[in-house]
Amino acid sequence: MPIILDKVSHIYGEDTAMAVMALNNISLVIPDGQFIGLIGHTGSGKSTLAQHLNGLMKATAGNIYFNGEDIDAQDFDKKMLRSKVGLVFQYPEHQLFETDVFADVCFGPKNLGLSKKEIELRAYEALKLVGLEDDYFYQSPFDLSGGQKRRVAIAGVLAMKPDVLILDEPTAGLDPKGRDEILDQIARLKRETGITVLLVSHSMDDVAKYVDRIIVMNKGSVMYDDAPREVFRHYQELEEIGLAAPQVTYIMKALRDHGYDVSDEVTTIAEAREEISNYFARFAAARKER
Amino acid sequence: MGIIKVRDLIYEYIRRDEEGNVEGITTAVDDVSLDIRQGDFVAILGHNGSGKSTLAKHLNAILYPTEGTVWVDGKDTRDDAAVWDIRQTAGMVFQNPDNQIIGQVVEEDVGFGPENMGVPTREIWERVEESLKAVGMYQFRKFSPNKLSGGQKQRVSIAGVIAMHPKCIVLDEPTAMLDPKGRGEVIRAVRALNDVERITIILITHYMEEVIYADKVYVMDKGKVTLEGTPREVFSEVERLKELRLDVPQVTLLAHELRREGFPMPKGVLTNQEFVEALDRCISEAGG
Repeated sequence: MPIILDKVSHIYGEDTAMAVMALNNISLVIPDGQFIGLIGHTGSGKSTLAQHLNGLMKATAGNIYFNGEDIDAQDFDKKMLRSKVGLVFQYPEHQLFETDVFADVCFGPKNLGLSKKEIELRAYEALKLVGLEDDYFYQSPFDLSGGQKRRVAIAGVLAMKPDVLILDEPTAGLDPKGRDEILDQIARLKRETGITVLLVSHSMDDVAKYVDRIIVMNKGSVMYDDAPREVFRHYQELEEIGLAAPQVTYIMKALRDHGYDVSDEVTTIAEAREEISNYFARFAAARKER
Repeated sequence: MGIIKVRDLIYEYIRRDEEGNVEGITTAVDDVSLDIRQGDFVAILGHNGSGKSTLAKHLNAILYPTEGTVWVDGKDTRDDAAVWDIRQTAGMVFQNPDNQIIGQVVEEDVGFGPENMGVPTREIWERVEESLKAVGMYQFRKFSPNKLSGGQKQRVSIAGVIAMHPKCIVLDEPTAMLDPKGRGEVIRAVRALNDVERITIILITHYMEEVIYADKVYVMDKGKVTLEGTPREVFSEVERLKELRLDVPQVTLLAHELRREGFPMPKGVLTNQEFVEALDRCISEAGG
């Protein structure tokens, strides 16, 4: 179920003195099954864009199509859209409210009017998908750790069986292991279900490690939209707008500046390790010949 | 005695169910002792729930020890008469900048602390000016805080603490909600306060890169200090930190992975410069 944005703009407080152009003429195609990173500094329009994709906000100009249908058309079923495009907000654990974990995850599908059996099946599947163990199902969600609570909140959205999952900074405030666990789980989920994932993130290292496409937002416009390696090639421009390349890219640049013949178009630790190993292999081979 | 001295600190809280019956007791801080000298830059690491925020809240008398003692600038935090002195000596900055700013205008917000302390008006303005300059926010003094970015707001929060002339600032994950630029701004401001003003810094964070300039790092787990040392010593323990749900800076990790592949890389590489130098030595050992 692809999403197409055609010249979408959003102006906050239109026709007032306080008008702010939050989205400026954005055209994008989000096909099925991609893992997309959405990056940009605070106030660049990332969250505004994310909230347009499931119809929470309405474009002030332009059109958004879900599976070929205009989502602002009179007869368009917005309830269907919101179950198909799941949005996980920042600090989603603040939205937990039920007395136990299982009941909390059931809340979404219950509102879809499904049978009790189907609701429970979906809740069970969703909790399994986020890797929460059975022991926790009937505990109060408030007794769980930060990372576990966040997984319960994500499960609540997954239980709606969305085709597209949008996560707005899902790792903010978690410890490093908690960050890795959540992102590994999302990557696995994407592999197993083929769902489209849009990850809003402030961590260039995370984005480089997981996604296959990066959209860079700046002042309400799309500045870059490409594979991670291509996007991070523009690290100087990214720095100017408050972003950066992954840390490992800077290590490789330092090596190059020092005279090492290694590529600086490296965005993950694994790539860097391989690049340096290869350099040494070439070095050893050259020495042997001498 | 140092600026902060913690002896055998234990903090327990009672868990209750919905009817208020006691379910059990959790020991959030379990027998911790620390000595922090004036002018030190100390970092505290630990996974979610390891007790680091609970410990931090003891350092300016928000929480009191169940057992043991905490002295701030020689004053016992359990001494009611000393509480206001202690809170002025050890200022605190929290995670969410939006919860800490109350003024309608930046300079008024920064003046709030000294005004409550009864500082004369003329001196309040002097303090506001020097504090905003110290964090690089002076040009925004007439702004409304809600027009600022997260990093800028957090620097205003820090200025508000500095205006009370503390000897020590405790920062509890001050960068968790900020973008990379905002994180950099806040950490630079904090380091400058430590270098230039010699204010003691206690920084709690989940970002390992923010810790490499600290004089000393404490790592907490299950309420106890489980590792302590210089950043180099602590970050040499890559596997141990991973077991503790933590991490090391990316450059340290890359050097560690190369070491495991047989490269003679040293432990605890902290900066890109050190990495380049270490690789140079690998080359010369390989006969280059």
